[in-house]
Amino acid sequence: MTDAKEIWVFVELTSAGIRQVSLQLLAKARALEINNRVAALVPGGNEDVLKELSKHGAEKIYVVEGLDGYKLDTYTEVIAECIKKYNPHIVLFGATHIGRELAPSVASSLRLGLTADCTDLSMQVDNLIQTRPAFGGNIIADISCKTFPQMATVRPNVFSAKEFDGEAEIIREKVNAPKSIFEVIEEIKAQGEHRSIEDARIVISGGRGLKRKEDFEMLEMLASSLGGAVGCSRPIVEKGWMPKSAQVGQSGKTISPDLYIAIGVSGSVQHQAGIKSAKKIVAINSDPNAPIFDIADYALVGDLYEIVPAMIEELKGEKNDRA
Amino acid sequence: MVNVWGEYDREMSEEQKLLKESLLSWAEKNLNAERVIKMNQQGYPFPGDVIKGLADLGIIMGVVPPEHGGAGLSWRDQALIADIIGYIDPSIATAAGLMAVETGWGFTIDRYASEEVREKYVKPAIEGKKIIGIASTEPQGGSDVAGIRSTGRKEGDEWILNGEKTFISGVYECKEMGGGYWVIARTEKADKPHKELTSFFVPIDSEGLEITEAYRDAGRGSLSTAGFVMHDVRVHESYILGERGKGFYQTMEGFDNARLLIGASACGVTRRVLEEAGKYVSEREIFGHKLAQYEGISFEFADFYANLEMLKCTYQHVADMQDIRYKEEGMPVRTGRAKTYKPQEIAKWIAILKWKAPHLAKDAADRAMHWLGAAGYTDEYILETAWRGVMSYCVGAEGGENIQKIVIARESLGDVAKPY
Amino acid sequence: MLQNPIEHLSVEQKNSKIIVCIKQVPDTQEIKIDPETGTLIREGVPSILNPFDEYALNLAIEIRDRFRNNSEVVALSMGPSQAAEALRKCLAIGADSAILLSDRAFAGADTYATSYTLAKAIKKLGPASLILCGYEALDGNTAQVGPETARLLGLPAICYVERVEALDGGEITCKRESEEGYELLKSPVPALITCMTTSSFEPKLPGVREIMAARRKKLEVWSLEDLGGSKDEYGLRGSLTRVTKTYTPDIKRKGVRFEGKEGVKELISALRGII
Repeated sequence: MTDAKEIWVFVELTSAGIRQVSLQLLAKARALEINNRVAALVPGGNEDVLKELSKHGAEKIYVVEGLDGYKLDTYTEVIAECIKKYNPHIVLFGATHIGRELAPSVASSLRLGLTADCTDLSMQVDNLIQTRPAFGGNIIADISCKTFPQMATVRPNVFSAKEFDGEAEIIREKVNAPKSIFEVIEEIKAQGEHRSIEDARIVISGGRGLKRKEDFEMLEMLASSLGGAVGCSRPIVEKGWMPKSAQVGQSGKTISPDLYIAIGVSGSVQHQAGIKSAKKIVAINSDPNAPIFDIADYALVGDLYEIVPAMIEELKGEKNDRA
Repeated sequence: MVNVWGEYDREMSEEQKLLKESLLSWAEKNLNAERVIKMNQQGYPFPGDVIKGLADLGIIMGVVPPEHGGAGLSWRDQALIADIIGYIDPSIATAAGLMAVETGWGFTIDRYASEEVREKYVKPAIEGKKIIGIASTEPQGGSDVAGIRSTGRKEGDEWILNGEKTFISGVYECKEMGGGYWVIARTEKADKPHKELTSFFVPIDSEGLEITEAYRDAGRGSLSTAGFVMHDVRVHESYILGERGKGFYQTMEGFDNARLLIGASACGVTRRVLEEAGKYVSEREIFGHKLAQYEGISFEFADFYANLEMLKCTYQHVADMQDIRYKEEGMPVRTGRAKTYKPQEIAKWIAILKWKAPHLAKDAADRAMHWLGAAGYTDEYILETAWRGVMSYCVGAEGGENIQKIVIARESLGDVAKPY
Repeated sequence: MLQNPIEHLSVEQKNSKIIVCIKQVPDTQEIKIDPETGTLIREGVPSILNPFDEYALNLAIEIRDRFRNNSEVVALSMGPSQAAEALRKCLAIGADSAILLSDRAFAGADTYATSYTLAKAIKKLGPASLILCGYEALDGNTAQVGPETARLLGLPAICYVERVEALDGGEITCKRESEEGYELLKSPVPALITCMTTSSFEPKLPGVREIMAARRKKLEVWSLEDLGGSKDEYGLRGSLTRVTKTYTPDIKRKGVRFEGKEGVKELISALRGII
């Protein structure tokens, strides 16, 4: 495999370990139709991390040693240096908060083309075809880079992580990272009041059909009887009724729960963009022509203020029956 | 897609577009349908935060020249604002309180007020801190302005006023916030009754001024309508507006200014009604078809829309006439004479607008409620609020329908049609 | 080692500029797809000031008024001539002057070419203490222009900022969103900040007076000639990516319909196995 092309995946580490999207990207990189060799670029990382990466598809791991905690400036410098030194064919980042600032910073340092927030990747000979929604998800564009290495950030949860056999080759890259000009004064974890919609198996979302902020309590009740999390559409975040972290859609989160229940959500294209990989979609709306019904597996036409309480009742009944 | 603004957005200047955007964003938070309906049901006083919010946007008395604290808008701009206000609050209370009374009459007060009245009352009203308005109608009648019975007699440098005024908009708001009214009184002896009148600015808290109980009316609930009695109310002669004996002409001028803005606001009401009902009939299905597919509905809709577009052209034309008139007469104070248009000619066009525009809005709301059925009759939709509210400008308020018809007949059929 | 950034800006504290990069975008909520042809219906879609940029502008005005009275807020945009509307709105909201970068040579730019053009203009504008922009635009959603521009200017980038906590000496402290919550980050100035709207944000609504005053403020249009360099550095030709194909997404599902309250029972039983 002498002329195999290296595909790099930047690995994001959190206090809890490897961010899921990094593993998802390793699996996708392995699946690309090119004579490839998939490499993980990981800042530090202990043996467990390296084992995880190897198990999830990394054939080669560049361990960058000498970097402290994440800072945009130092990471930019070091990653740009590594790319220059090894000249990979493709470099992929997760479209996370870090990925979305780090990738452009690196790309522009090296004068490289970069495509943001891809939802699919494929190969056309040597060219990486980067598929992404544009105009708020109203159209899909295929984009390729004019420069090499080709760079892209990819949305979390559009690919699945997989396990592979084999042992990754480890390359330790010692760097003298420059001192960062940034100083993190404090880290504040988000209030735990809202269950993360990305991890929930069932997500219940509210939209403009809800008349008051307080009406979300009704959705919370439904969610708790189903063991799900509550999300919302963009206008709700704009009204300040729900935090940005609960927003589903193109400018919010892409999620792939087993069940998605959209309540009073009209279903703009950008909202649809966030839920198209949900396994089952239920839509409840009083407007029989609401666009959300176009992508719903089950459509319930009617007044949500009657339906949601009835659902809560019905579920309560079911529970009692079982008990 | 229901488009009730037509090509208006394209016609607007960059500044007008920005202003429309600001007004609609402000209303989305502060004066949305839910609030308008609730305000209407709760009754007066009209909420101070709405007055303050709209004053902060600079639309109250925007036509007053900058040297007098206004924004120096054209009547064309102010008429567009009135249209948007009618669209935002189709109960017409905001348009009645802040466009007709404060802006139409306020502008005219400013034109004839002394420096003292301007500083103490007009400027604070522009800032939304006080209310100023018109008190013309008396218990025995309002349409015949020349027949007014209130009196004024001079004593030293003061005037002593007596009489009663009724059906006055905003009296309780004025009492709460401070301010006063333009009062017409008989002061002179002349060969014709309309030469015997003088206009005064009377502060609401004047000694001897007694406010009467507010009326309960059909639909302009959020703005008070009441009256007051004057028992030997004394005002300084600097509170005369304009000249002695010219009160009738000034009052006619004030009516024209208020009527123009009411006409434009009524167009906004029609717009809102057609938009709300238009969305409903585009979505609702019966016997396998959308309501909008039935000609019984779509042709009625088209009829209202066509009339709306015509009335929009009418108010723009009238506003342009006003702009020319005031340019020729001189601003901020009168220094010349109108040449291009005679005041009667403008009055005729304004009468056409004031007659037809509220009527169209009322009829559109009436038919729209028929299209929606029972739902349209409830406060789930804003139609019944609009229907009840706009009726106030059909039956009266700055002159009822028949007064407008007298003006139009006089200007077209000739003096033979004069009943006076 | 790295490609030369355009040049460092000077660390002027007083009488300097706060530059806000803004974009006029179609309101993506209003875009519809023609069901027959599957193409975008752009007609009648209102153009708006990108909401995150509007927030950035409000923040810039707040910084001007709260921290350093002498700085001038300059609104900067690259776009077709009609984008002047959005800049006029910025002037009405409170920017002191505005520059529109408009030239046929700038058209078709990807994020790199856009950043390059903005960076050239920022350089030409002279000493700036802060550069603010929305973290992303509603139409592109790339969030790349901010950090790319910062890098081209050799400035630190602070992304996803909701609030500026402090600005003193040569340092700025921002509250910014992170994947897990928030962090307070301190950086030297000059710096580039990308802003994320907070839920409590109430945009300044320009009234009649502000709108009339905006008419008298300076709005310049700069072309390729003003920025200098060759056509190849800008727009489509200066871009490092190319769009090879566009198409409309097909994500329709065939739904089973239930009606009203009565449908609840049927729905719940259909969902059995998942719930």
